[in-house]
Formats: sequence, C-alpha cells, structure tokens
Amino acid sequence: MVGSPAHPVDLAALIAATMLPFASFLAILVVTRGRPRLSAWLSIGSVTITLACSIALLALHSGLTTPIGFSADLIGSSGLNIPFGFLLDRLNLLMIVVVSTICFLVQVYSLGYMAGDPGFSRYYAFMSLFTWAMMSLAVSANLLQLYFFWELVGLSSYLLIGFWYEKFSATQAGKKAFVMTRAGDAAFFIGILLLFIHTGDLGIVNLDSRAALAGVPPSFITLSALLIFGGIVGKSAQFPLLTWLPDAMEGPTPVSALLHSATMVAAGVYLFARLFPFFSMSAVAMSVFLAIGTISMLLASTMAMVSRDIKKVWAFSTISQLGFMIMALGAGSYFAGVFHLTTHAGFKALLFLCSGVFIHRFETNDVYELSRLGAKRMLIPMVTMVLGAAALSGLPPLSGYFSKEAVMGSLAGLPNPVWLGAGLAGVFLTAYYSFRLIFILLFPRETAVTIPVGTPSPPPQAAGIPAGAPGAWAMAVPLIVLATITVVLGFFETPLKNFIGAGMLAGGSVGGEALSWTPLAALALALAGVGLAWVEFGRKGARQIGFVDRIPILHRLFAERWYIDRFYGLLVNLVIDRGISRLCYLNDRKVIDGGIDGLCEGAVESGRVMAVLQTGMVQYRLLAIFAVLALLALYFYY
Amino acid sequence: MNWMIAGPEIFYFAASLWFLLLTFTAQPKPAQNGGRRREYLTAIFLASLGILVCLASVHAQGWLFTRGFSVDFFSQVFKTLLSLGLFLIVCICGQINDIEDRRHNEFYFLLFTCTLALMLLVSADHLLSIYVSLELSSYSLYILVALRKKRGQGLEAGIKYFLIGSFASAVMLFGMALLYSSAGTAYLPEMAKVLPGMMASPAVVTGLLFTLGGFFFKLAVFPFHFWAPDTYQGASNQVAAYIATASKVAGIAIILRVVASAGQGSTYLVHVLVILSVVSMTLGNLAAMVQKDMKRLLAFSTVAHSGYVLIGILVLDAAGYSATIFYALALLAMKFTAFMVVVELTPDGRNLQIEELAGLHRRSPLMALALLVALFSLAGIPPTIGFTGKFLIFTAAIQKGYVALVIIAMVNVVISLYYYLLVIKAAYLLEPAEALPPLVVSFPKKLLAGLSIAVIVVAGFFPWWLIQIAQAAAQPLMLGR
Repeated sequence: MVGSPAHPVDLAALIAATMLPFASFLAILVVTRGRPRLSAWLSIGSVTITLACSIALLALHSGLTTPIGFSADLIGSSGLNIPFGFLLDRLNLLMIVVVSTICFLVQVYSLGYMAGDPGFSRYYAFMSLFTWAMMSLAVSANLLQLYFFWELVGLSSYLLIGFWYEKFSATQAGKKAFVMTRAGDAAFFIGILLLFIHTGDLGIVNLDSRAALAGVPPSFITLSALLIFGGIVGKSAQFPLLTWLPDAMEGPTPVSALLHSATMVAAGVYLFARLFPFFSMSAVAMSVFLAIGTISMLLASTMAMVSRDIKKVWAFSTISQLGFMIMALGAGSYFAGVFHLTTHAGFKALLFLCSGVFIHRFETNDVYELSRLGAKRMLIPMVTMVLGAAALSGLPPLSGYFSKEAVMGSLAGLPNPVWLGAGLAGVFLTAYYSFRLIFILLFPRETAVTIPVGTPSPPPQAAGIPAGAPGAWAMAVPLIVLATITVVLGFFETPLKNFIGAGMLAGGSVGGEALSWTPLAALALALAGVGLAWVEFGRKGARQIGFVDRIPILHRLFAERWYIDRFYGLLVNLVIDRGISRLCYLNDRKVIDGGIDGLCEGAVESGRVMAVLQTGMVQYRLLAIFAVLALLALYFYY
Repeated sequence: MNWMIAGPEIFYFAASLWFLLLTFTAQPKPAQNGGRRREYLTAIFLASLGILVCLASVHAQGWLFTRGFSVDFFSQVFKTLLSLGLFLIVCICGQINDIEDRRHNEFYFLLFTCTLALMLLVSADHLLSIYVSLELSSYSLYILVALRKKRGQGLEAGIKYFLIGSFASAVMLFGMALLYSSAGTAYLPEMAKVLPGMMASPAVVTGLLFTLGGFFFKLAVFPFHFWAPDTYQGASNQVAAYIATASKVAGIAIILRVVASAGQGSTYLVHVLVILSVVSMTLGNLAAMVQKDMKRLLAFSTVAHSGYVLIGILVLDAAGYSATIFYALALLAMKFTAFMVVVELTPDGRNLQIEELAGLHRRSPLMALALLVALFSLAGIPPTIGFTGKFLIFTAAIQKGYVALVIIAMVNVVISLYYYLLVIKAAYLLEPAEALPPLVVSFPKKLLAGLSIAVIVVAGFFPWWLIQIAQAAAQPLMLGR
C-alpha cells in the first residue's frame, strides 16, 4: 500500500473534513430547503469544521516526510481492482487548507451578498457540494478517484454559473463552461485509460515514481502526459480552451471568487503539481506546457487591458495568472508554481469579493459606471482592492511580489531567454491592467468617455440589500481577513519553501536562482506598468483612454478576445452543426429510424398475416394441426 | 394405503360435491345480491381453506392407486400453486354478470372440479390417470367457457374449444397407445427406464410427440394454440383468467413430468421442442401486435409465453426444470394481475378493448399501476418476477449451449414489448374521448392489487427463496427415475 498507514485520528479528521459538506448538501436539499437561514448555517457550520480539521491536519503533520495513505477497494471486477482512498502529503495538506479557508470566507461573505435571493438554500447546497468535491479532489489517492471529483467540481461549477437560471446568458455561460471543460476532460480520461492500460495502477504515488514507469516507452509517457494536460487546459481555462472563464462571470460574484479564481480553476494547476514528477519525465511535454502557459498568460493579459467589466478583468487576469503558474511548473520549478497558486488564491479571491461589494451596492459591472457612482467612497473594499491589485501586479511587500519573483526566477533558469522575456512582458501587462482599473475607480470623470466596447456590460445582477444592512459585516470581515493574508503571506516564503520543497516526491528543481537582475527587472517593469496606467488613467486631466484604445484594430482584436470565440462559433457552426451533426442526424433519420421503422412495420405487417391465419374455420385449424404434426413426424426420418 | 397424502384432492372433491349439492337444492334468488354474495363467500372460504390444506400436505410423499398417483414435493408445490390460483380467481368472481345467476353454483362446482382434475394431473404418474384427469379438467373448462350468456359468444367459443380439445386428446390417446405398445408399460417411472434405449424407434418418438400434443393443447403451444384467442375472447373474463393461470400451471407441470421421465436422450424430441418453441413465441408475439381486444392480446401473449416455457423444458436438466417451475409461478402472478385489471374494468362482463383503457391512470391509479407492473413483468423488464423467470430460463438454456435459441427468444421479448407498451400507453398516455368517472374499487380489491404488485416486484428483487423452492421441487424429477 502507498505511504505509511493512517492514524485513526487523521482518518476521522479527514472523513469529517470531506464528508460533512456532502452531508450538509444532502440535508439542505432534502430537509431544510424551505428555511434559508438554517441552510446557510448548516453549510457554514460544516465548512467551519472542514477548515478546523484541515488546519489541524496541517499542524499535526507539519514535519511529514512520507505521505500518509489509506485505501479500500470499492470498485472491483474480475481481477481488476480500483482502490478508493486518500493520500496526504505536504502538497495537499497545503491545498486543503487553502481550499477550506477560501470556502469558509466566501460562504460567510455570501451571507450578505446572497441575502434575500429566492434560491438562497439552493445556493448553499451547491456551495456545500462544491466544497465536498474540491476537498475530496485534493485528497484523492488515485487518478480515477481524482477524475471522479474533478467532474463533480465541474458539475457544481455548472450549477453555480447557471445559478440565476432565469437569465438566458447565465444558462448559456454554464453550458459553455461545461462543454469546454468537458472537451479537456475527454482527453484527460483517455490519458487515464492509457496510463491504466500500461501501468495497471493509477495510484498517484505509483505514477510519480520513476520506477513504476521505467518500462514504459518515453513517447507513450509524452502522449499520456499531453492528454492529461488536456484536462488541465480545460479546467484552468488555458489556451485554447480559455474563453469559458470570462463568460462564467455570469454566476454570483462569490462563486466567481471561489470557483473561478481561487480554487476550482486552480485544480488544474494542482493536478499538474500532483503529477509533477510524472510530467517532468517527458521533456517534450514540459516544453509544450510552458508554451501553452505563456500563450494563455499573454493573450489573457491583452484581453484584460480593454475590458470594461470589472469581473471580466479579474477573470482574464485569473487566466493569465494560471498561465504564470503553469509556466513556472513547466519550467521545472515545483515550488514557484505551488507558491503562486497559494498567494493567488488569496489575493484573487480578495479582488473578486471587493468587486462583489461594488456590484452589490451599485448593481453594475461597468468600471466607468462604478467609478461615476462613487465606488471610491466605500473605504474598506477600496483599500483592500488596491492591496489586492498591488499584490496581483507584484509590488512589494505583498504576497504576489514574492511568488511572482519565484516564478520569474524559475523562468530565468531556462536556457532560452524567450520565456523570461514573455514572463517579464506579462508582469508589465499585469501591472498595467490592474492599475488601469484601480485608477478608473479612484478618479471618476464626469464626462464618461465613450469608446467602442466589444462586449456590452451585462445587466445588474442580484437585487441587493442597501449598504449598512445587517449583512454588511459578513461581507466586510472576509475582505479584511483576505487582505491580511495577502499582506502577510509573502513573508512566509522560506518556511513554505522548506515545507513544499522537502515534501517533493521526486525530481524537479526547487527553484532557479539564476540571474540576479531578474527580480529588479520584474519590479521595475511592474512599476512601469503602474506608471503607464497612472499617466493614462490616473493623473489629472488624463483622458482615461488606454494606448490600446487609440489603435482601433488592436482594440478590436483584444475586445473580441482575439476572435477565439468567433473561431469556435464558426467551427461549431460549420464542422459540428452542419458537418458532423448533420451527418449524424441524417444517419439517425434515414438509416436508423428508417431501418427501425421498416423493421417495426414489417413486424406489424407479419402480425396481421398471423392474425388472418387465425380467423379461419375450425376445420382448417384442425387441418393445420394435422399438417404440422405430420411434418414433425416426418422430420424424424431426416 | 395412506389416504391422507391425497388430502388436497379429497378436499377439493368434497368442496365440489358441496356446490353440486347446492345446485340441486338452492332456489334461484330473486333478490339477487344476497344469494350471489353467499355463494361467493362460500367459494372464497373453501378456496382459502384449500390453500391451507395444500400447504399442510406440502411435504407429503407416497403413492396411491397402485402407483398411478404419486405424491412428491414437485406435485405438492404445483398443487399449492393451483389452490392459490383458484383462490385468486374466486376472489375476482364477486360480480360475474355475464353468467346467469342460477348457474353460479354450477360455475363454482365446475371451477372446483377443474382444480381437482388439475391436481390429479400434476400427480398422475400413469398414462391412464394422466389421460383421465386431463379430460376431466378439459370438460369442466368446455362447460365453463360455454356458460357465458351473451349472444352465443360463449357457446361458440366453447364448441371451438371442445372440437380442438377433442382432436388433441385423440392425438394424445393415439400417442399413448404407441408408447404403451413400444414400452410395454404405462407407468412413467417404468417407461423412464426403458424408453431412452428405444429412441431410434419411430413408434416411440411419434408416440411421444403425439402424447405431448395433448399437453401442448393445454399450454396453447403451436400448433395447438388455435383455440386460445377465440376461447379467451368468448369466455367470461374470470374463466379466461382461470384458463390463463391455473390451467397453464398444471399444463407446465405435466409436460415437465412426462418429458423428464420419458424424453431423456432424444435429440429429435429436443429439435421438435425447439421448433415449436420458436414458432410459438414468434407467432404469438407477432399476432398479439395487431389485436384490439385485450383478452385476445393476452391469449396470444400466452402462446408466446408457452414458447418461453418450452425453452426451460427442452434444456432437460435440473436448472431448466427449476427455472420452468419458477416461471410457472411467475406466470400465475403476472397473468392473474393482468386479468384482475380486466375484470375490474368491466363490471358488466363485456370484453375489454384496448382503447377503453384510455385515462385509466386517472380513473384508478392503483389499477393502472397493477397493469403496468404486470405487463412489464410479462415483457421481462427488471426488477420484476417475470424478468427473473426469463433470466433463469435463458441462463439454463445458454449453459446447455442453446445460444441461438436464446437470441431468438430475446428478439421475441423485444417484439413483445411493442404490444405491451401499446397497452401501457393506452392506460397512461391516452386521454379518453369523453371523460369517464373514476373507477370505484372496493378495499379488498385494492388490497389484492397492492399485494399482486408487491409480489411481482419483491419477488423480482429477492427471488432467492422462491428459486430454492423451485430447485427443491425439481429434485423429484431428477431422482429416482
């Protein structure tokens, strides 16, 4: 069996941490649906216990050396056994703490944000479902089990994006997210099957050990690594499956904070880190990952530069930050990727929750509109948002600075300077679009500039409660907690590095320490980005028109998201709708339906013939009996 | 001689004598319901007592009438099934409006006599006792069919039934004579010792084939099925239900016994059974598809089901026999449930057309559900007793290597779904042309319907106990022969 056996206390804590949210999901759906308050407290209560258990586990096992495992055969069929269980090592100890913290804070925040919504109980039921799936995903001991919860996470994402299902765009966005992530998951599943065929054991510890894959040809490892990466591309919204994430912002803002920035989309990166030793066995696959991460990072940054929708800006930035993580992992730096995941979860959730406060108060997503209505007068969200944006841009001494430096360090360690250049460009763009948004919010212009907008701002969302209502504290406290984390977390780089680095299963360098000028360059570029944003949006008399807006072609390109959606639309329309679907439809109608119809009509027709035989006179029937008997008797002689 | 082992027969003999006595003495009651009620309650009481008697003697063993009548677990299980079948049929006889009131005592007399004959049949071990009990049961049924008063329907059906039946029994008698002349004995256990060595002789195989012809008539196997649709249609609903349940169960039992003792070692016989089975189920299912009359549809479905039963028999081993016994029980439960719905829907005793079922789920949800469960079970959809029965039979056949036969049977199951679903569609999806009042179902009937549904479904989920009984009942067929 994998790892050292589990202590009963650990087992109890883990079961409580993973199963309680599920229990509350069922309880809310079955029992307390009609009582929103009770449902909310049920859900928050369970996630509190989950958080406590996760922190306790982390505290108990801070010096963990060998992973703890527990498994039992749940699916068995003629010699083929798939064990289900859990695996605890340093990576997922960190992950469950991150997940449960954000889940807890977002659920508390939702008390205020979702107050008065008719689907309040349903919302908390889905939140519990998500918490259960995500926690179980993090502690899964083998790839099939992980896939199982991976899909459940996708399901809860679908349910939550389309939470306001009476809104057409929300259901469309939910569908789009589901279908696009499924496309990646199909590849993921094929990858799992390939691995299973060749190794016969999907245990994560097994896959991460070089010994188990010693006999497997390298091209095969590359193939399955690329297929599994397909799942990551879908889940983490990387190129080319990145367009579902901005649309997913149709869901309630806390959902965007929890699922579509901090945790669920990070599941892809988590899987990468989980199977890091396996992936790093294939150099080809790693460089593909690096390229994909870089492309996604740069594309999403450019899209963020022109968006007027506050949530979409953060959504694009999520894609680009996930791209950073994948770049770091692809560059071989396990620590940088995981560290950036952790800090990003904190400050991105913070940014979304702050935006949620504005949206809740002013009922619009448009940045200029928010600014005009006086967003800067809301002190707590504005201050914390600036902190979050600064962290996102990588300004010291916030957490984002440290993790981004680690990422840059890992890129600098690569022989090809292109990656580092792209990374630095990304740093510049990140700082620019973050502070573009901040400056617009801070310095309202009465003469709202009208520039061609690619995507119209969506209609106001939840019917909110007025600020200062009892729900307000519930929304403010999580902001302050997250802001504190954002400020403080960076200083824990060294302990985290020791914790994560030492817990590595095998292979991979911990982090590059190559060029000493990299951190300085990154910092300078980030400051330059902020500066440019200041010049264009902040200073007195600035017209709040970005340099991209002045070049119509570029603006159009970015606002249309590089025409990726158009391309998919065309693809779906031409190849799938008019090509494959039509062929299938024709086949269905002509061949299958026609065939079945023919068969049925034939059968009914022969039934009619049989019935006609029946209506003869008695004599004929007796004759028939006689004839049959005679024939049967004759048959004996043959 | 230990007469006690013939307890069920003695009891049913006494019961039918009691009704015979009533026919002599009872006055036709002008105040109809009082008299009708009394006969009905008497019949229910006697029938339920009969179940107890059968259960009490279920472990009896021995021989009577110089071994012409053998009592073993096989026969006792079937007698219990028969008494159960009679009880169920009597239960739905509360309102027989299409049989004249003054004939009611005779109706019950004939029902009990027929049950007595069927019980003798499942115990019969001698060609003569087989013949006599078969004829006794058939004659009761001829009259029962003809008792229906409406427009000569019953009489016509009775005469058709009688003509084909007498033809079949003539064939059977001829076959028995051939068998006796070849084997030199008319005892089945004795024949079982002699016949397997003589399977090359034309006299033996033709004799066997002809003998089975008589039983095929009972079971409505092609080509002896011609009576079934007309008789079902012409007979009153309750009588049709009795023919479809109790009479079929006994037919299965006697074929099992004769084939198990006399048919071993003949590939020819197996071939004949395969042919008849395939033709029966295909013809039954195809013809059922175009029926408009519910009872005709059920008649053709019976023909198809006797095809499935033959598969279990032609396997010629313990697994096949026990599967067939299980299937007999399943047939009893599901056919009865279907007929119960028919009877409930037609209090005036007319023939039920399928389109009359429209809107049933609103008029009486319980009856609609009972119909649904019964038809799903007949079609063999899990988790019903019908599925388990088919599963057991098909498994037994596949283990013997009759894969092609099972595939044909499965194709037939799909065909049969068509007309079962047509009926269910009528009951659940179609709306009646004019709104019909809700169906008033008395509480005992509701209980009966609920129990039938429960039996069909529960036995589909937990068939193990019944399978064990069926296996134990199949033992006497294998041992001591």
